[in-house]
Amino acid sequence: MTTPPEKLAPSPESPTGSPSSSEGPSLPDSHRLVLSSVARYALRRALLIPAQLVFVLLILYIVIDVPIALTQTPPESLATIDRGFFQMLFNIFTGNWGTAAYLKYQLPWTQLFAYYIPPSIQLAVFALPIAAVLAYPVSLLAGWSRRPGVDAPARFVTLTGALLPVFVVGTLVLNALFFSYLDYFQDVPSQGLLPADFWFFNHGGYPSWILYQFATTPTGFPLVDAVIHQAWTVAAISFTKTLIQASVVAVAYVAIFFRHARSIARSVREEVYIVGARSRGISERTLLWRHAARAVAPSFLLVFALTIPEYLGVQFAVEVAFVDQSGFGYLIFASLTTGELSPVIPLVFLIAIVVLVWALIVDLIALRLDPRGLAGR
Amino acid sequence: MKDAVVVRPADLPLAPPRPPLRERWARRPPGLGFLVGAGMLAVYVVAALSALVVFWSSLDQLPKKVAWVPLENPVGPSSAHPFGVMAGFGTDLFRALWQATPWDLGIVLGILAIDVFLGFFLGATAGLDEGGLVDAFVTFVSDSLGTIPTFLLAVIVFAGLLAEAPKAVSLPVFVVIFGIILWPTMARTVRERARIIAHQPYVEAARASGASFPHILLRHVMPNAVGPVLAQVPLDVAPIFFVLSAFPWYYNCQLPGGPPLPPGSPPIPYLVPSLPAFSPLPSNSFPEWGYLLGFGTCEGFSFPGGFNYWWMYLFPLLAIVGLGLALGLLCDGIERWRHFDR
Repeated sequence: MTTPPEKLAPSPESPTGSPSSSEGPSLPDSHRLVLSSVARYALRRALLIPAQLVFVLLILYIVIDVPIALTQTPPESLATIDRGFFQMLFNIFTGNWGTAAYLKYQLPWTQLFAYYIPPSIQLAVFALPIAAVLAYPVSLLAGWSRRPGVDAPARFVTLTGALLPVFVVGTLVLNALFFSYLDYFQDVPSQGLLPADFWFFNHGGYPSWILYQFATTPTGFPLVDAVIHQAWTVAAISFTKTLIQASVVAVAYVAIFFRHARSIARSVREEVYIVGARSRGISERTLLWRHAARAVAPSFLLVFALTIPEYLGVQFAVEVAFVDQSGFGYLIFASLTTGELSPVIPLVFLIAIVVLVWALIVDLIALRLDPRGLAGR
Repeated sequence: MKDAVVVRPADLPLAPPRPPLRERWARRPPGLGFLVGAGMLAVYVVAALSALVVFWSSLDQLPKKVAWVPLENPVGPSSAHPFGVMAGFGTDLFRALWQATPWDLGIVLGILAIDVFLGFFLGATAGLDEGGLVDAFVTFVSDSLGTIPTFLLAVIVFAGLLAEAPKAVSLPVFVVIFGIILWPTMARTVRERARIIAHQPYVEAARASGASFPHILLRHVMPNAVGPVLAQVPLDVAPIFFVLSAFPWYYNCQLPGGPPLPPGSPPIPYLVPSLPAFSPLPSNSFPEWGYLLGFGTCEGFSFPGGFNYWWMYLFPLLAIVGLGLALGLLCDGIERWRHFDR
């Protein structure tokens, strides 16, 4: 065994690095792979993601595939069910997700998802900043205020908002906007993030960069593609439609976020340094918007990481309410309601990946802001 | 062999006797929110009990009056029909909502009971036994299953069950499945609180004086970890009614081409209330608020914007939101009452 000579040389900062053990010379500390506690935590979480994905797939397999196998195969072939799980794992992780059989486009699911995902991302890119701009001050202010005139109405409104099914709110908004939108754009505010089909028929038919009525080229994001092809009217309509849907998503999500976030702002109010600063005569406004606003940021981010699935649920429902046939939510509702479960496993797999990775990233940002959160993980 | 020195509770100085309820009540009066919430919940319970008595012979079937079924000449709210008439069902809406009350109260309270029992117990155990087997199990399961939106997981499990045992698809099974699906969220929030409590001095003291694990759990950790449960309970009402209403709505209203009709049947000029295959409700005329809301949202709007029969979705919506608000006010009131002296 050959060791580079510079590693054998005892370094000044490690006096214990002398070659005394029988296993060979131990490396000085500066050459050992030493991870910070945050990096170790991140690594552990990242390594756990595949295990969690396999667990989710196992649940789905037990729930979906086993019953189908039980009903479709003769009893003597039941012995293959246990092998079926590993086959399914292999298929899912290698991207062999089967073919859509019931939609009018008979394409592989991977290809169809590639059409469905960008519009949903476009909606989320609009909705998340609106939600953040709404949720941050509202939760902070309502949790901070001791006056019952602020906290009680905020709690009432947000609990009502969380209880209202999103599709009802979406339908109401859709109908309220319908005629003014039709007058202004000669288009309906529903039916996806592109103008509706009759708008295209009235304006010279579909352009060549739109496939399948909703999939656009080259990027797949309707707004970006409209800008790339300099179709400014289409871009304006796409922008407005996305903005309307994103506002509904944001308001509905803020109601969910608020219930978790209010107690955080409340506990910050009792922190020693806030009380100390108040006793020195710093105004409530400075305390709230300078000190408390900064102090709650990591905890708010953690709440955000925890409620990502709920956010996705809200967005899916809004997509369905606005008859957003290019959206992921529409695909989920269509496949579940018609009892066609073939895309469900890859769909949930995709959602689980997005949620796990997203939660990890948000968690790490929160830890970067406040490393005290690492204790006990 | 020496006998171990055991400090029995009898040797300890006794706590002062508990004051009578009237005095405790006077010292810590319940807030207005608590009283309003309790009153609203009492109204729901009275409505459910009276519905059991009045509609006992046909509790699971809504009566249908053929003249009310088509959407032409809809009957709005009036003194004879305070909530109007739901077209399609052909039923007086007030009667339908009243008849649905025992069913919905049973569904919600059953699901919440399972949810709270599992989530509270397992979450507190995991928080107290940090790093242990229960903790690893609870954390892993809640982190894994928590990645899927609740309504999606519930519907997937239910749809899968339909393929496995169609006969088993029923309301009690739905209640059990939904309760089991909801507990990880509850357990996660309870665990965070229990972790903090487990390091409090009084828990250390109890441990040092030889208290057993179940004793610490039941006597110290769980009573002090009620807060997250009270915060989560009203929120858990939302996904229940989302599943019960969104899928009937989608099936009746949004499915391309409408719900499938039997082969050879003529086109129908109005909507017939119908349920997706995986619905837990036993029949198409079953009284249930979510079903009425889903169908009413669809029926109440003539898209695009022709009419707006607001009563068809407003009153089921009020019934659902009212129940959630009652639970929310009640839970907030209890929480405020627990921390009255702070």
